[in-house]
Amino acid sequence: MSDWAGVFIFFTVALVFGAGGILTSFLIQPRRANPVKMEEYECGVPTIGPTWVQFRTSYFLYALLFVIFDVETIYLYPWAVRFNNMQIFTFIEMIIFIFILIVGLWYAWKEGALEWK
Amino acid sequence: MTPFDFSIPINPSALTLEMLVAALGLGILILGIISPKGARSGLGWVSFLGLMGIIGVAITMWGQSGELLAGMYLLDNYALFWKITFMVAAALVILGNMRYVDKVGNQAEYYSLTIFATLGMMVMASAGDLMTLYLGLELMTIAFVILVCLRKTDNKSVEAGMKYILLAGMSSAVLLYGLSLLYGLTGSVIMLDISRIIAMQPVSPALVLALVMIIAGLGFKISAVPFHMWSPDVYEGAPTPVTSFLSMGSKAASFAIILRLFITALPGVWENWAMVIAILAGITIIIGNLVAMPQTNIKRLLAYSSIAQAGYIMVGMVTASEAGIKGVMFYAFLYVFATAGAFTVAAYFYNVTGSDELKDYAGLSQRSPLMAAVMLVALLSMAGIPPLAGFVGKFYLFKTIVDGYLWLVFIGLIMSMVSVYYYLRVALVMYRDEPKDPSPINVSGPVTVTLILTMLVTLIIGIYPGPLSEVVNSAAHSFFLH
Amino acid sequence: MLTISLTHYVVLSALLFSIGLFGVLTKRNAVAVLICIELMLNAVNINLVAFSKYITPLDFTGQIFSIFVITVAAAEVGVGLAIIIAIYRNRLTVDLDNFDWLKW
Repeated sequence: MSDWAGVFIFFTVALVFGAGGILTSFLIQPRRANPVKMEEYECGVPTIGPTWVQFRTSYFLYALLFVIFDVETIYLYPWAVRFNNMQIFTFIEMIIFIFILIVGLWYAWKEGALEWK
Repeated sequence: MTPFDFSIPINPSALTLEMLVAALGLGILILGIISPKGARSGLGWVSFLGLMGIIGVAITMWGQSGELLAGMYLLDNYALFWKITFMVAAALVILGNMRYVDKVGNQAEYYSLTIFATLGMMVMASAGDLMTLYLGLELMTIAFVILVCLRKTDNKSVEAGMKYILLAGMSSAVLLYGLSLLYGLTGSVIMLDISRIIAMQPVSPALVLALVMIIAGLGFKISAVPFHMWSPDVYEGAPTPVTSFLSMGSKAASFAIILRLFITALPGVWENWAMVIAILAGITIIIGNLVAMPQTNIKRLLAYSSIAQAGYIMVGMVTASEAGIKGVMFYAFLYVFATAGAFTVAAYFYNVTGSDELKDYAGLSQRSPLMAAVMLVALLSMAGIPPLAGFVGKFYLFKTIVDGYLWLVFIGLIMSMVSVYYYLRVALVMYRDEPKDPSPINVSGPVTVTLILTMLVTLIIGIYPGPLSEVVNSAAHSFFLH
Repeated sequence: MLTISLTHYVVLSALLFSIGLFGVLTKRNAVAVLICIELMLNAVNINLVAFSKYITPLDFTGQIFSIFVITVAAAEVGVGLAIIIAIYRNRLTVDLDNFDWLKW
């Protein structure tokens, strides 16, 4: 059980540290509201018109490219787990795999899929 | 022994063909990226010559056999014969349609995807386990989907691509569910192990469900009735070279994998399913031929005729014997040449006139005797008229089922006669009717070579089937040696 | 106390597969059909992982199979969505009932 005492202390300190800061600022802050202070800042500008509009298809093209490259990297994980006892052939195979992915990315770049149109 | 034991040494030379084809496809893509737009029409020649070189390498590998990764990848004459067939099909499609592709643009994408689809088919032909089977199938299907909507500003092409991806996605999900049940029942994905374990178990309802789903999923790929509804739409909407590759390559590869899956992995249960396959084959032959009759668009007519052809090939699967496998391979090989001939004519005609309608083929024999002759030979071969290759192929197929399935033989015979009707309708339009526009059509060099080659092969195999028959015998024999 | 057995996983997967298949056959929106195909593929994944855990606990065949299924499904959806974007640009609709230019 003593092994876990360190973990417990760590979590307690983390909690106190985070909650303490928020609590202190809540206790000692001056409460004077004015319109300028209530405006949004750092979260973007106030919206103009309705915001429930269709997004441009360019967003989806980015998302597609991201998803495909993101999911393909799933193969890197089991490969990395076996990295220490691996034949040279398996290592070269992964290099080839990444090379193929890079050719795909190169193609997407060259075709202008990464540009905002 | 599990297939994922990394300490098993892998022999890379066994995968020479696949690696060469993959390198060729990637190379074409890279060449397309770095070469200027005007020089890209040369990519067709690069891919054609590359494929011819790889076919040469493949022929030297004849007779090799073995297994990789505990049976996940099977190498034998059976797989090699299919691989050569796929590469020949790809080479014919590329050689015959270079000008069509230049007109569409996107040469690099077209050629590299054609080669990747070929790679998928080759992986399917060698697949010894369910995972490899699925990956090969999907590599082929996804490449084909992109090829189908290659003309991305043409609404018909994109609509065909949409229908294809949705239905292909559904069918492969159904197939996969069947495969996952098969894995659950046997605890193995390797076909040779599955066959041993299945033989020890009684036939359970779950196995029946798995088989139904596998037949439905693969039936979609070969467009067997009642899973055929996608193919006329996709065939009409796709660019014609893609249609031709789709109807020969994708279908042949699916037959290769069906034979492997059912005969290698499920030999014990096959007897229970022969009747189902026989009935499916009968319905496919009847529906394909009857619906082809009223068609007025040449691509739709060829699409329905290819459904009927799939029915004929399924006949060879009924007995699941060495003779049946031989018939399937023989017919698939000559079907590649007949289809390549017919579709090359259709693609070139569309290129010149911008029409796929049958009535515009009027008087083709006066405008271009070669195109009309090739179309005639291809169609008559599909109909199974005696001196041509199709007759020999049908003879081998139906010979296997004379004992026990005589009704199917009769369906095949009657429907072959029916098919002569609509094939001859095309011939009449080409030879009897007067052309509206009598200007002659000049056929360019590579297309002439393709047309003459397909016609000669169809004629020679018909008259002198001996050599091909021996090759196919050896391939079918190697199937049972694992 | 109720323990979770292989049967539960298989039933869950069968239900998920049926919902997906029903959706594919009835939905009229192309994106919804793609989502339903994903449901079917995920049903397959549940099957594979459950079989791998309960039937062959010593090797990872089923889990590796499901990794392949996930990546192929991503590629398939990528192509499918790209086609939907292309068709939307041309016609401003993704309703399958409107795609009737090809008919037999």
